[in-house]
Amino acid sequence: MKQTFTQAMAWLHTWAGLIIGWLLFAVFLTGTLAVFDAEIDHWMQPEIHSTPVSQLDAAQRALSYLGDHHADAKSWGISLPTERSPGLTVSTGDRRSGTRVELDPASGAVIQPRETAGGSFFFRFHFTLNLPRTFGVWLVGGLALVMLATLVSGIIIHKKFFKEFFTFRPGKGQRSWLDFHNASAVLMLPFHFMIAYTGLVIFLLMYMPAAVDSLFKGDTQAYAKAAGNARQETPRGDGGRGQPALPANLTDLAPVFAEAEQRMGPLAGLTVLNPGTSAMRLQVRPVLGNRIELSKGLNMEFDGVSGKLLKDVTPSRASLLTQKVMAGLHFAQFGGYPLRWLYFVCGLLSCAMIASGLVLFCVKRRRKLADKPVHVQRWHRVAEVLNITSIAGLSIACVGLLWANRLLPVALEQRAGHETTLFFVLWTTSLVHASLLPTLQAWRQQLASAAVLCLLLPVLGLFGPGHDLQRLYLELAAVGIGLLLLVAIRRIDRKVAQAGSAAVNAKVLGAKS
Amino acid sequence: MTPSLAVLSRCLAALLGGYALTYAVIAALARALPTDPVDAVIIASLPAFVVYTAAILWAFASRSALRAWVPVPVLGLPLALFAFWPQLLERLA
Repeated sequence: MKQTFTQAMAWLHTWAGLIIGWLLFAVFLTGTLAVFDAEIDHWMQPEIHSTPVSQLDAAQRALSYLGDHHADAKSWGISLPTERSPGLTVSTGDRRSGTRVELDPASGAVIQPRETAGGSFFFRFHFTLNLPRTFGVWLVGGLALVMLATLVSGIIIHKKFFKEFFTFRPGKGQRSWLDFHNASAVLMLPFHFMIAYTGLVIFLLMYMPAAVDSLFKGDTQAYAKAAGNARQETPRGDGGRGQPALPANLTDLAPVFAEAEQRMGPLAGLTVLNPGTSAMRLQVRPVLGNRIELSKGLNMEFDGVSGKLLKDVTPSRASLLTQKVMAGLHFAQFGGYPLRWLYFVCGLLSCAMIASGLVLFCVKRRRKLADKPVHVQRWHRVAEVLNITSIAGLSIACVGLLWANRLLPVALEQRAGHETTLFFVLWTTSLVHASLLPTLQAWRQQLASAAVLCLLLPVLGLFGPGHDLQRLYLELAAVGIGLLLLVAIRRIDRKVAQAGSAAVNAKVLGAKS
Repeated sequence: MTPSLAVLSRCLAALLGGYALTYAVIAALARALPTDPVDAVIIASLPAFVVYTAAILWAFASRSALRAWVPVPVLGLPLALFAFWPQLLERLA
């Protein structure tokens, strides 16, 4: 590697981009879908109806259900219907050992929605790749970090950064791929940097505990205590005054909700600790998107009997607020649906930037491939196959998850697990398919499969209960993506027509290289 | 050094060496900041990935695969020493 600085950076950009590109595309595509995770969740549970009902009424129905069925539970949890998730969920105990029941917010009747991996699958996959959590978080963090290095090296090698700002020469093969890769990278550069960096900042002290190690001797508990966000002790059942808890009635929720809403914005749910006793406490939490700051864990606490405010929200200190605002920029919860769509489109463009870079790597080398030694041709073929699998194959798997949701029997045991399995079966099938067929043919067939699955999603939606506007929007978005995929296929068709006349190309692009 | 060994050396220098160097820089920065320790932790940690990215670029831009490792001891050791000096003194006493 005796070469100039620019050449060194070009080498880094090419190879680092290729190696991380395959997985990074998966992170970006699932992350883009996760922008609408609650909406996908809702689509995947068609038994839940969206009914216009006030949160107060819904909360009353939830409380009367819990009072009838779980009067002796230590705590009750209620997820209220919100703009994004119209369902009403009640739970007791903690997440693992407790029970969860779905209620109809309008009638209070128990409903049994199908078990599903849901849009939350895309959310989890986005930051863990469905691997064991810690390992996955580190791997995705590594991808984001190398992406930062790839972005910077990309700027360095892109000499005519400003001159080529608006250059696009379509229909010119390799040149067009380069132009598109440059345009999508340069125009979206602030977004690429922001999303990679803020993603890393979410797990800041997990990735880089150096400062805690030097200032707090590695004692994260001591740091959390000093930062004032240590876990609060749950009040015990003696009412805090050494007296046994007596039976008591819950305070009127209307003023509590009004006060919490005025302070924190729209509400998402509440927890009742020690329900039905004089030691009752109410914790009310807002929806995530009331401020840019990622407000996970934020809540207000009220005395459950008198309705008196016990714990107000405390504003984060400036340093912590900075981190939380950066995390909030990544989570995209703060600007309602216009902002979600903006992030969705930006995310798709990032996907396109990564995909065009991967394709460019192969297109650039195809022409000269016939003169190369056999092992180079073999590695080139591996890159082509992985490109198809990671881009087209993953797209099939993602929309396939929605199909699995409607096609698997509703009463299936471990249903959510089976949906996930089907996702990976589709992805593996794509790998096998891509390695058996010639490159362009495999691209074409897989993109076509993804397009058909997207375009027919509204038809699939017709079979089954639960039609509402939110689900229709999701299906229309899928149709839009299907149409984009059709455009991509038409381009390949044109390419095949050109290649058909040139015998050399046909030899190079064949499966046996 | 064979080409593949040189590439391996640079990759390790970038990822492992880069992490070690970033760790030292952030620890020292946190120690140097005159703010409340709680704030210092966050303020010092936020630029971590800028430092790490720079370290990766250095590892691939340096003239030889061995020079890729130079910043780790030259910059990292003194900074780590500065960051963890109080803890070292405590251990020795």
